[in-house]
Amino acid sequence: MSKKMVCFCQDLTDADIVRAIKEGYDHLETLKRFTGAFMGPCQGKMCAANVVKLYAETTGHPVEDLRIPTMRPPVEPISLGSLAPEKGGDDDA
Amino acid sequence: MPRPKHYDIVIIGGGVQGLSLAYNLALRETGKIAVFDKSYIGSGASGRNGEMIRSAFGSEEWIRLFDTSLRLWETLSAELDFNVMFTRCGYLVLASTPEDLAACRTNCKRQNAMGLKTRMLNAGEVAELIPSLNPQATVGGVFQKEGGVARHDAVVWAYARAARRLGVEIFPYTEIVAVNVDTAKITGVRTIRENVLTGIVVNAAGAFAGQVAEMAGVKLLLDVYRLEMIVTEPLKPFLQVALSSPHFLAYMHQTARGEFAGGAEPQNLSPYLGLKNTRHAVQDMARKFGSLFPGLRGAKLMRQWAGIVAKSPDRGPLLGAVDGLEGFFLNAGWGGYGFMGSPAGGRLMAELITDGQVPDALYPFNPDRFATGQAIVEPTIIGAAEDKG
Repeated sequence: MSKKMVCFCQDLTDADIVRAIKEGYDHLETLKRFTGAFMGPCQGKMCAANVVKLYAETTGHPVEDLRIPTMRPPVEPISLGSLAPEKGGDDDA
Repeated sequence: MPRPKHYDIVIIGGGVQGLSLAYNLALRETGKIAVFDKSYIGSGASGRNGEMIRSAFGSEEWIRLFDTSLRLWETLSAELDFNVMFTRCGYLVLASTPEDLAACRTNCKRQNAMGLKTRMLNAGEVAELIPSLNPQATVGGVFQKEGGVARHDAVVWAYARAARRLGVEIFPYTEIVAVNVDTAKITGVRTIRENVLTGIVVNAAGAFAGQVAEMAGVKLLLDVYRLEMIVTEPLKPFLQVALSSPHFLAYMHQTARGEFAGGAEPQNLSPYLGLKNTRHAVQDMARKFGSLFPGLRGAKLMRQWAGIVAKSPDRGPLLGAVDGLEGFFLNAGWGGYGFMGSPAGGRLMAELITDGQVPDALYPFNPDRFATGQAIVEPTIIGAAEDKG
């Protein structure tokens, strides 16, 4: 297998993903937690299409049957300070 | 019709407690064992917790149980032949007020009397241990050098693989829809696919333990709460220890990847039990973590998530046989401490189930204790609101 990057946050190659699936992390949720794909600063926005396609090809599950792991907030990383202004917070939202 | 499958023991819940129990039962050669989970293994609180480990509590009962666990953590990677990334980085319970400090001192005395090597730190020693901590947020604390953190998902996989190697069958995505009982005796369970015969069912269903017990006609005194956590982008090392703050109801550590991971409980826990995040919680956490570590205000929040836990009236787990229903056992109600308690929970429950004798460390946590007026008083757990691991 050639060396193709599929996740730029965690430096995962296609071989890393295939090896993880073969080791038994053969569900998208466990694959995510084992490899760290979907869990870097992009939170899946760059890697999801690559990982899901590769997963579907490796396991034979049709892409349309797959449930992509939950995209958690925030959409983009934001500073903790912006969420907690020192004065006049926004508690009641 | 094919004959229904038969197992000697069925465990409901493929979280860290259920899998640890399955592994420990299989070590004792207790026959055919099956573990059922309604989702992927570790999908509940086992993969959503703060990963922190200590035995420095305030009551003899909690100290004995969790120190049994801590001893097992020390050799767990070797025992399970899987690196669970247990790091003995130390665990500090931070005191922010004179009252906190007095409580730490009382607890430390009890811990030392029971042989724990915990010690009191003054404000200067805390600053030396964690230079990035806001000096105004601390007056001292109690430090357990042997405490630490481990990777929660790895612990789930380690127990699952070790259990499978010993012949345990694990069924993810196989929800239990009924527990079959005949004249006060367990006879089997029904999954979404089929009936399964068994004489022993262990309820290790975490936040859903109350629902599973109801299937067997048993009412458990459990309240269900949701907790939220956050993780930042990877940062340079700035926090070397696992840290909890009773004052802020917060707990936190820096992961091996450099991310700051932490959670905090609001004063009033949310009645909403879904797994979606709330803005209220993230603002509460941002404010608390920013107060403890001013340097974190510029750190970028990468992800926020939620988990749910079940808590008993005294906030201690329910461990043991259910009186009046032969073959039904509980390993439930850990209320946020099930991860750090998983090596001991599985080991001691396996002893109880196979030998029929209740291990000393387990006895105080018997599920009947509320009916017999023997609820445990654990001073570091105040109501629903305390630090979690």
